[in-house]
Amino acid sequence: MLESWRVSKFTFKGGLVLENPFPAKEIDLIRIPLPDKVVLPMQQRIGEQAKPCVSVGEHVLTGQVIATIDDDRCAPVHASISGTVVAIDNQVMAHQSGLKALCVTIESDGEDEWIDNSVACTENYDFCTPDTIYNKIRLSGIVGMGGAGFPTHTKVQFAEGCHTLIVNATECEPGIMCDDALMQAYPTKVIRGVEVLLHICGAEKAIIAIEDDKKESIKLLKKFCKNERITIEAIPTKYTSGAEKILVKSLLGIEIPSGGYASDVGVLCQNVGTLVAIFDAVVENRPLISRVVTVTGSAIKEPKNLQVRLGASYDYVLGFADIDPGENDIRMAGMMMGVDLKGTDYSISKNTNCIFVNKPIEKAAAQECIRCGMCNTVCPMELLPQQLYWYSKSSNIEKALDYNLLDCIECGCCSHVCPSNIPLVDYYQFAKALNRQQTKEKVQTDNARERFEFREFRLERNKQERAEMMEAKKKALKEKMAKDKVQKEAIAAAQERVNAAKTAKELEDAR
Amino acid sequence: MRDKVMGTNQVMRQVIYALVLGVAAQVVFFGFSVLVQIALAIVTALSAEALVLRMRGIQITPSLCDGSAVLTAVLLAIAIPSIAPWWIIVLGVLFAIVFGKQLFGGLGNNPFNPAMLGYAFLLVSYPLQMTQWPSEFQGVLSIFELSAVDALTGATNLDYTKTQLMLGESIGALTFENISQMWINLGFLVGGIYLLLRRIVFWHIPLSLVLGLVLMSGVLYLIDPSSYSSPAFHLINGATMLAAFFIATDPVSASTTPLGRLIYGFSIGVIIIVIRVFGGYPDAVAFAVLLMNITVPLIDYYTQPKVFGK
Repeated sequence: MLESWRVSKFTFKGGLVLENPFPAKEIDLIRIPLPDKVVLPMQQRIGEQAKPCVSVGEHVLTGQVIATIDDDRCAPVHASISGTVVAIDNQVMAHQSGLKALCVTIESDGEDEWIDNSVACTENYDFCTPDTIYNKIRLSGIVGMGGAGFPTHTKVQFAEGCHTLIVNATECEPGIMCDDALMQAYPTKVIRGVEVLLHICGAEKAIIAIEDDKKESIKLLKKFCKNERITIEAIPTKYTSGAEKILVKSLLGIEIPSGGYASDVGVLCQNVGTLVAIFDAVVENRPLISRVVTVTGSAIKEPKNLQVRLGASYDYVLGFADIDPGENDIRMAGMMMGVDLKGTDYSISKNTNCIFVNKPIEKAAAQECIRCGMCNTVCPMELLPQQLYWYSKSSNIEKALDYNLLDCIECGCCSHVCPSNIPLVDYYQFAKALNRQQTKEKVQTDNARERFEFREFRLERNKQERAEMMEAKKKALKEKMAKDKVQKEAIAAAQERVNAAKTAKELEDAR
Repeated sequence: MRDKVMGTNQVMRQVIYALVLGVAAQVVFFGFSVLVQIALAIVTALSAEALVLRMRGIQITPSLCDGSAVLTAVLLAIAIPSIAPWWIIVLGVLFAIVFGKQLFGGLGNNPFNPAMLGYAFLLVSYPLQMTQWPSEFQGVLSIFELSAVDALTGATNLDYTKTQLMLGESIGALTFENISQMWINLGFLVGGIYLLLRRIVFWHIPLSLVLGLVLMSGVLYLIDPSSYSSPAFHLINGATMLAAFFIATDPVSASTTPLGRLIYGFSIGVIIIVIRVFGGYPDAVAFAVLLMNITVPLIDYYTQPKVFGK
């Protein structure tokens, strides 16, 4: 009884206590059969993309590299099944915009024949140099499995010299259970994955942070963890506890400076799914070709956690869930920060942690903001969402920046509590986009102005130089003329003297 | 408890429910004329709102249903003397809704508290009708000018104090037989506490307003108890509790940062006393609130909380 009254030391300001809207009776990890076809996107994240190194018609093996990288801001892609490459073309991505991106499509031969990826570094990673393991991770195509999809090797590189490794096992949003399922299925892989990462990142200690409602996972990890450098902490189940900045603050009491990253304060944060992927890659020579996806929502009878080969279509995956027939709304990732999708024409990518299938509900119409201030009591970044809304709505970006628009992590707590049902985060995203555009334009105009000003300066300088030159010439001429005059006078005087002498001589001669 | 508790419409409705006790106390002392004023105010507010919304080409029903116009009407109706003629409340509500709210863009966009703007408009335009309060237990329908008003009026304690002090009396020599104000204030206090418990109103403004009022009146009282009323007197007279819980807390026109709310409430409390004691009007809530409304953008800007990581 007393225990429940004790306030955990790992809490933070703001945030929301949200229950899992669709709790599962059992959190099992179900491995689903191989799909007939996979569509693998080259782009793991907005920005750079991997370059396909296979051609249409080529036969590939499971785990074979099909796209390489020449930039550390992306990760290579591996075939998730064995079969034939049937297409390399643009396909619609699971994103609100419906934008297309380059994908490699492979048709299965049903064999799931693996390529031999094994290199020297296997079971005994302790004897490998950190560089060897780092390269192994880099070549295994591992990205952040929590949703951001940032290449893990690059993140590890940024965090060089860090003192603490934080393993994010908080399951950032209510409803998602894939991390929980993974931890319950592979507790030893998690622990050993942490050991591998500790070995290469150089941190002294690792903290595995799990929300306290995942009792089974906590119990299992504690049971299997024999390493005193690794601690397992139960943190309060409160939404946004899994946001990197919040997690670092609540676990270590360190506040990451505005605009900074965990690596700036000597911390490396990794999702627990990433660690299992690291273990698979380093110890078992399996590149990243599958992940756990939670399939849940109001239109699903029993939420499931499915181990899925990357590139499998949503339709194929949803076929293993018990879905109510009829029109349903599809949402990728969490109920707070996820994106609503049109249809199911997408494939599972490295960061697809959850698919919500919801019965359509009518959204309450947004009303005017009455500045009640509920939003600023839940904002984990301690912002004033009501002020940000006011200035974002009126496109007053300068003022919005004054109110720290850029510190917003778009967690959606404010939208969730708003009594007027205002989609606040949409406004902030709009304002941020506008700011990016304005900054870009400003840079362009600044450059143009600088060019113009330099040109003016150059012309002016040329003019001045020319004037100075002229002046100098004139002066020289004058001096020369003056000198000439003196000379002439001297000559004239000499002439005079000669003449006078001559005349005198003539006179004398005449005498 | 941090989850979404209620929508904007429900918030407005809850605030109106919380007014019930105070209004009941008014009815007990001044009769059913109070309810007639409220009814008149609501009808006027809804009609005016609907008319302007139609002119602005905005859907009428959602805005009418948000309850904000009704709340403004009720607040103004219970702030004016219950025996004021019918056109007083009609004009006041019209001014509040049309000029105070809709011309600025409707709910959420008004820089001033609409009810207090309506009140100030009435007070400066019709000072006579706005300062004649009925004597206790003499509820009548003088609203429709069916009876002689003069015979029924009495002065409020604040008014009485002011006149007597001007006549050279000392506070100690005054006797207050008027207990209606105390009960009405108590009614609003209980309603206000209900709002605090339901987390519809944050504690910052009510607490700091009362604190400002008590501190300012307390300092004056300590200086000279014979010419200045005690803090307790100020707390239970005039529209103190109504202001603290229902008027100054209008979120739209109030400061929105936690520290800003404290400054805003405290300043209103201080200004109420300054005007009550040194100003020309017996009560001062409307002017104090309007004055502080002007300063809100400035207060908000300079009282931003420390942001994570800064």
